[in-house]
Amino acid sequence: MTTYTICIFTENTIGLLNRITIIFTRRRINIESLTVSETERKGVSRFTVVIKHESREEVEKLVRQIRKIVEVLAVFGYLNDEIVYNEIALFKVSTPLGSKPLDVETINKQHKAWIVYWGLDYVVIEKTGDDKEIFEFFAYIKQYDILEFVRSGRVAVGKTEKGLVEYLPEAEWAYYL
Amino acid sequence: MEAIANITPDVIETTPSAQQAAPKLISGSEALMMSLIAEGVDTIFGYPGGAIMPVYDALYDYQDQINHILVRHEQGAGHAAEGYARVTGRAGVCLVTSGPGATNLVTAIADALIDSTPMVCIVGQVAKKLLGTDAFQEADVMGVTMPITKWNYQITNSDEVADVMSKAFYIAQSGRPGPVLIDITKSAQLELMTKPFSYERCQSIISYRPRLAPKQEQLELAAKLINSAKRPYVLVGHGVQIAKAEEELRIFVEKTGIPVATTLLGQSTISTDHPLYVGWLGMHGNYGPNVMTDHADVVIAIGMRFDDRVTGDASKYIKQAKVIHIEIDPAEIDKIIRADAPVVGDAKEALKALIPLVEPNDHTVWRNEFRKYDTIEYETITAPELNNPAGKIRMAEVIDLLSTKTKGEAVLVTDVGQHQMMASRYYQFRRPNSLITSGGMGTMGFALPAAFGAQVGAPDRQVVAIIGDGCFQMTLQELGTIVQNKQPVKAIILNNNFLGMVRQWQQLFHERRYSFVELQNPDFITIARGFGMDGQTCDKRENLSDALDTMLAHDGPFLLEVIVEKEENVFPMVPAGASVSQIRLK
Ligand SMILES: Cc1ncc(C[n+]2csc(CCOP(=O)(O)OP(=O)(O)O)c2C)c(N)n1
Repeated sequence: MTTYTICIFTENTIGLLNRITIIFTRRRINIESLTVSETERKGVSRFTVVIKHESREEVEKLVRQIRKIVEVLAVFGYLNDEIVYNEIALFKVSTPLGSKPLDVETINKQHKAWIVYWGLDYVVIEKTGDDKEIFEFFAYIKQYDILEFVRSGRVAVGKTEKGLVEYLPEAEWAYYL
Repeated sequence: MEAIANITPDVIETTPSAQQAAPKLISGSEALMMSLIAEGVDTIFGYPGGAIMPVYDALYDYQDQINHILVRHEQGAGHAAEGYARVTGRAGVCLVTSGPGATNLVTAIADALIDSTPMVCIVGQVAKKLLGTDAFQEADVMGVTMPITKWNYQITNSDEVADVMSKAFYIAQSGRPGPVLIDITKSAQLELMTKPFSYERCQSIISYRPRLAPKQEQLELAAKLINSAKRPYVLVGHGVQIAKAEEELRIFVEKTGIPVATTLLGQSTISTDHPLYVGWLGMHGNYGPNVMTDHADVVIAIGMRFDDRVTGDASKYIKQAKVIHIEIDPAEIDKIIRADAPVVGDAKEALKALIPLVEPNDHTVWRNEFRKYDTIEYETITAPELNNPAGKIRMAEVIDLLSTKTKGEAVLVTDVGQHQMMASRYYQFRRPNSLITSGGMGTMGFALPAAFGAQVGAPDRQVVAIIGDGCFQMTLQELGTIVQNKQPVKAIILNNNFLGMVRQWQQLFHERRYSFVELQNPDFITIARGFGMDGQTCDKRENLSDALDTMLAHDGPFLLEVIVEKEENVFPMVPAGASVSQIRLK
């Protein structure tokens, strides 16, 4: 199984998420993660969808089916080494009086994680990175009591020098990975 | 398409009661009427209801410009719009109410999507403030139709009407055509626009750009393969007729001498008596074209999508050949069969550009190989089916006689089943755009309403529907529409008292266990008479010719029921999952 990151640029209209996910569902492809937000271009949204698949050919077909949606401006499918990507995770860790104190230096220096909120008897730690780094940190911080853990979907940008604007609106849309 | 700028109420003629001093602010419903007129819509197939009543009210004032046809069931509206679209090449328009009206249309929408038929469906919806409340006759039509439309949109504000309608027609009719659905809330139908109405035809959408002109390097690669081919073979699909590229196709194959086969929906693209035409492909297609697929060294597939009914087992299909795939929808490239030379673009543009690049050729020897199989097919299947004076009338005889009597010039609209395949086998198409059938969905009940729609769209052509006794009972209420609108549709029921195609499979693959396929049929002619339509039954071979003459000479619609052999099978046949060369003759 190879991990693919599919970046979809769309007009920002109601119902589009539904239209896009139908394409995955119909082909029985599971979505590992999904992030959506508006881009630097007003009215243009960016979907970042991560999937795992055995066949590159099937992923190429999927990309072309997504491209068919009228409101989709461009679709790119990437392998991990073609993108810079990250996720963000928040850990709510219990710190009651008298418990083992957090080793902030290890958290900061070794894991590049930051305490972003101090509660009365808990803290919230933010860790960004790829899923491997996040789970490494998870394994480390598990020794304390984790009250809540949440992980975002992946965000990614391609490693080419082109900016989004250069793909829109005139470009010949890429159909191939 | 040229722009129609600034259509305002005073530009469009209306009946006196609707005429008022311009510019005035109009309702969403009136804006809808004017949008339709600006698009040149002359016919709407529809059925009213609560959530679309403001639009129907506006329509009352425009009856002299828009011919509204009241069907008997919304599925009928959908198939009629498809029939209309298929003969005219313009979008068929449906107008229905919310909830059950919309869901009744769903089958036809899905049918239009898979057969690339342009259609604009306008559906009433509950008022904006009731959306999502499970209001009376509210259904999530956007959600339901999302996977089966090329595009859908919900209008909740009267100011949106003109822009959305122009996009709807543009999307439905351009690129690879397809159905578009516009859901319009009752509040948007009623409320006044906040600005004067103006209409501009959509010419482009930033995120939607069908590529019409293929790239030169793709064409050159294709031409190189064609020029060096020893056994080239052209497979023509529906896309060629959609692109109106019949003439370019003829010039292309005549220059290169390449044999041509069509898919089911590609039939009538080229006249069946053209010396380069070798027959049709697929599960029940002709023997030679299927077998020879495995012998070609270059396959030129034009406007077709390698449906599994054409390829049989796709993993064994044309492995030996280089494939040129000319197709307007890039998502079809490599979807089923990998293309060595993909040419993305409109079939007409592609063929026009390809003709000067290909060298004149003559592939007589290769072409003649097809003829050997024709002889085998004729001797084992065709001749016995046509020249069998004993027993009941056979479907083949009916179609063969009809073909002769109409000189191959009718528009044949078929339903789904054995009769569909027989009609395709035995009708000798002489004119383009003459077979209208539900190819991709295989929708029973398609033919009667589609024939009606086709007749409305092509009043000068003879339209004949070929229908099975099972199929007829799915949409027979549209007889009423045909009669009320005085359309001279001729319908032939080939009555074998069975769901014949299913029975055939049960016979061949389920040890004759005929599970629920025998029908207790009504008296079809009495039913037709009940609707005010003339008809007659024929169950003797010696009366068949007269019966067909009576039907064709009849002034107005006519239903001819022909009692045919009960247990007849359609051959050749590629069993499901087999490769095309394993096609069976019996
Ligand atoms: C709406 C729908 N339901 C079921 C089927 C499955 N089906 C395909 S052909 C067929 C039998 C058609 O029978 P009939 O109309 O009598 O035609 P015949 O095959 O006998 O010519 C059936 C049930 C279908 N294609 N469409």
